[in-house]
Amino acid sequence: MKNSKLKMQNELWRAALAAGLIVSFALSAFAQKSKLPLDKKIPVEKIATVFEPGKSPVVSFRIQFLTGSVDDPAGKEGLAALTAAMLSQGGTKSLSYDQITEEFYPMAAGFGAQTDKEMTTFSGQTHVDNLAKYYAIVRQMLLDPGFREDDFKRVKEDAINFLKVNLRESNDEELGKERLYNIIYAGTAYENHTIGRVSSLEKLTLSDVKDFYAQNYTQGNLVIGLAGGFDAKFSNQMLADFQKLPRGGQKMRKLAAPNLADGMKIDIVKRETRATAVSMGFPIDVNRSNGKDFAALALVASYFGQHRSSNSYLYQRIREKRGLNYGDYAYIEYFPRGMFQFEPDPNLARRMQIFQIWIRPVEPQNANFAFRAALYEFDKLVKNGLDQKTFEETRNFLSKYVNILTQTKDAELGYALDSKFYGIGNYNQFMKENLAKLTLADVNRAIKTYLSSNKMRVVMITKDADGLRDEIVNNKPAKIAYAAPKPKEITDEDKIIETFPIPVKAGDVTITPVDRVFE
Amino acid sequence: MKKLFLLLLFALAAVAVPAQTRKVFPYQYQVTDLPNGLRIVTVPTDYPNLVSFYVVIGAGSRNEIEEKKSGYAHFFEHLMFRGSENYPPGSFDAIMKKAGASSNASTWDDKTIYHETFAKEDLDAVMRLEADRFKHLKFSEEQFKTEAGAVLGEYNKNSASPFFKMYEVMRETAFRNHTYSHTTMGYLEDIKDYPNQYEYAWKFFNRFYRPENATVIVVGDIKGPAVVAMVKKYFGDWKRGDYKAEIPAEKPQDGPRSKHMDWPSATLPIVQVAFRAPAFSETEKDKAALDLLRIIAFGDNSDLYQKLVLQEQKAVFIGADADDHIDPELFTAYAQIKDVKDMDYIKTELLKTFERYTKELVPRKKLDDTRSRLRYGFIQAMNSNESIAGALAQYIALRRSPDTVDKTFALYDSITPEDIRRFAAKYFTENSRTILTLATKQGGAK
Repeated sequence: MKNSKLKMQNELWRAALAAGLIVSFALSAFAQKSKLPLDKKIPVEKIATVFEPGKSPVVSFRIQFLTGSVDDPAGKEGLAALTAAMLSQGGTKSLSYDQITEEFYPMAAGFGAQTDKEMTTFSGQTHVDNLAKYYAIVRQMLLDPGFREDDFKRVKEDAINFLKVNLRESNDEELGKERLYNIIYAGTAYENHTIGRVSSLEKLTLSDVKDFYAQNYTQGNLVIGLAGGFDAKFSNQMLADFQKLPRGGQKMRKLAAPNLADGMKIDIVKRETRATAVSMGFPIDVNRSNGKDFAALALVASYFGQHRSSNSYLYQRIREKRGLNYGDYAYIEYFPRGMFQFEPDPNLARRMQIFQIWIRPVEPQNANFAFRAALYEFDKLVKNGLDQKTFEETRNFLSKYVNILTQTKDAELGYALDSKFYGIGNYNQFMKENLAKLTLADVNRAIKTYLSSNKMRVVMITKDADGLRDEIVNNKPAKIAYAAPKPKEITDEDKIIETFPIPVKAGDVTITPVDRVFE
Repeated sequence: MKKLFLLLLFALAAVAVPAQTRKVFPYQYQVTDLPNGLRIVTVPTDYPNLVSFYVVIGAGSRNEIEEKKSGYAHFFEHLMFRGSENYPPGSFDAIMKKAGASSNASTWDDKTIYHETFAKEDLDAVMRLEADRFKHLKFSEEQFKTEAGAVLGEYNKNSASPFFKMYEVMRETAFRNHTYSHTTMGYLEDIKDYPNQYEYAWKFFNRFYRPENATVIVVGDIKGPAVVAMVKKYFGDWKRGDYKAEIPAEKPQDGPRSKHMDWPSATLPIVQVAFRAPAFSETEKDKAALDLLRIIAFGDNSDLYQKLVLQEQKAVFIGADADDHIDPELFTAYAQIKDVKDMDYIKTELLKTFERYTKELVPRKKLDDTRSRLRYGFIQAMNSNESIAGALAQYIALRRSPDTVDKTFALYDSITPEDIRRFAAKYFTENSRTILTLATKQGGAK
């Protein structure tokens, strides 16, 4: 809990966001009909829409293309994100980028892009007072991009610096999480960081960006999302304008699932840093389109590791009882930037997800113990499941908590776009209905079906990588010392954790210098 | 194209004028004071089902006046989650879970804010719990020492960032006497000493966690009078205190200061240029004028940003901070630089920009556009019960009154280009300047 002043650090991430490097939204393969009556002259069936009109004095835009880093050609990793950054942080045919920021300035408006694996979403908000002139600019940005060389040079350098400086060298937690995704999805279309690889980004050209735009920014890939104080006249005009894009077909690329060898594998990233960060996880064959099983695993992840909440079981055991770090959480959906925010950003929908455990940085001498503690707790979860009381408490929590996830009109719109992608209905209703249907047996069956440490992949970021590797491969007991005497319940459990087996072979513990990550 | 610009110009002018007569905080609110000094602010909204409950304590790291005792306001924020007389450890989490709550807290220089957003039917249970921990906090020495480890963990997770360390060094370089010389997080050596300071921690709590120093804010799907009655019921017997912290005054800076930091791992160089800045005021123009100048001179639309980030592309970003503080703090401009050979150049550009506005008048249109930007930014951000309560809490921490929002925006409306030039000249003087640079240590990581 607790905020310290990391404002310029946040600025650095904000700059990356502004450069359209982190954000992405997505699309949907399962277009639904607009809720608004539409002008018959417009062939609206060609463009998918999500409209959430309301009384708000603010209008939210989420304009989504069903294209993302899975569409990066081989050797051109990062092209999807760079294209989006060129649209959101570059000029149009008639306006330079600085002219755009000049126009947005008095409106306190912006227009960002979030590129993810399967979707790219452009988003922004404006007060209704400024709707017409805001849209006039946004329309040009997406439909008449300027593709200038000087913009390209800037956004490309920003992308490279994001990987080399922001991720590698200033945020061990995010570095660990993203490295984990690289490893789990090695050899698949999800392998690379959405921003790309340093070596491939360096080779990208403006011509690559233009080609990517021409091929993927089509009506077939488009979903227009609007929420707040707009009317049907406005949305109809938007639909007419976006018919300027080539029709294109909607393509959902076939995705090869990760094919991981059995057994745990650990990658220790060596970096000059004070503490040791740990992330671990494995693929799960479940996403929101799985309905009841998704709800069951969501309940498990919430019980075991509700994000940034002291209600996380792992948090209770590792932080609250032992004071080893700042927090410990679990996830079943991609959740970047979790150290900066409490609720996940929408429009990071993915057909493939992982189960993930996040152990926030620990003192290096406690890394072996904290890692074993997480494995021990995970093992107990898989063996014992939940009991009736925790099941009911967590179900009740999640049934109410969904209202917090969608408490703004903009978040509501983002979730509606994701629901379209997954082919489900209103997210709140979907979760409440599926949670209501669950029994304890369903949840424990889902644990047995989907959770296992058999293919667990682990990433640790630390300075003394050789020392940590030595402790792990030689199975050295993880001694732990506290500032104050602990209750017997804890000291007894510590004895088990100290020697809790790490099921990894010596050859499966690798060390990677940080400058090789995302290279 | 030309037509578009004309249209935009017309529209912008139309925005700026009515903006000056509108209240920026659009909700009706009620302010009630209890005999014990506790203030209650209720704001019914049309965002359904949810309630946001905030408690703002008017104390932060500014109040840490003893030597070697940095970070206690923040440490105490952690301890507030460790249980109370009638709610043993774990009760807080159980009640929050039952309420489906998003719950957290934050500590800053001048304030500590506790907050929850949850289903409206759980307000009574949450408020009863909250009152108990503010009135009857209880934790053991063992819990205290365990929580000290969690704070160290927080320091550790922050420590990977060069910005974090720079902030610490900037504070201790720019200030010699005032408690703003240390950060809210506190020094590592003081954090490591926490396990030995159980008694001191209680002293901190008893000084500042008092009703006359606290404001309860309740926003959302509520009926104001019923909420006030509920607060009276649960917080009415919270005992008033009488402690007054003597915050050491900072003398005027007596000359320019500078420092360079070597960073052990790879990073892009960073430069920060800070000047002593005025305290927050809703009546005096000094801070309001510099708030507007901060955006004009160093914002994403500034001449300097256009030059260094967009045209020359020598900086990854530039910006400036000048947060509202109870006492005078800093106006800090900063840049992250792509190549260390440009460090001096960028530093000079930042300095030239400060100097420019001590001499030049900002264009009237730019000033009006900036006011418009602040207003629309504030209005657009209030899009949920939580964000409304959060926005109010920032102002209530300064003046304990929601009308501070509209007074501050009215002050912005009164600022002239001449005011900005006058206050820039008053505060951006060489004697009150501190410059900090950071770069990867030579021979260190690539």
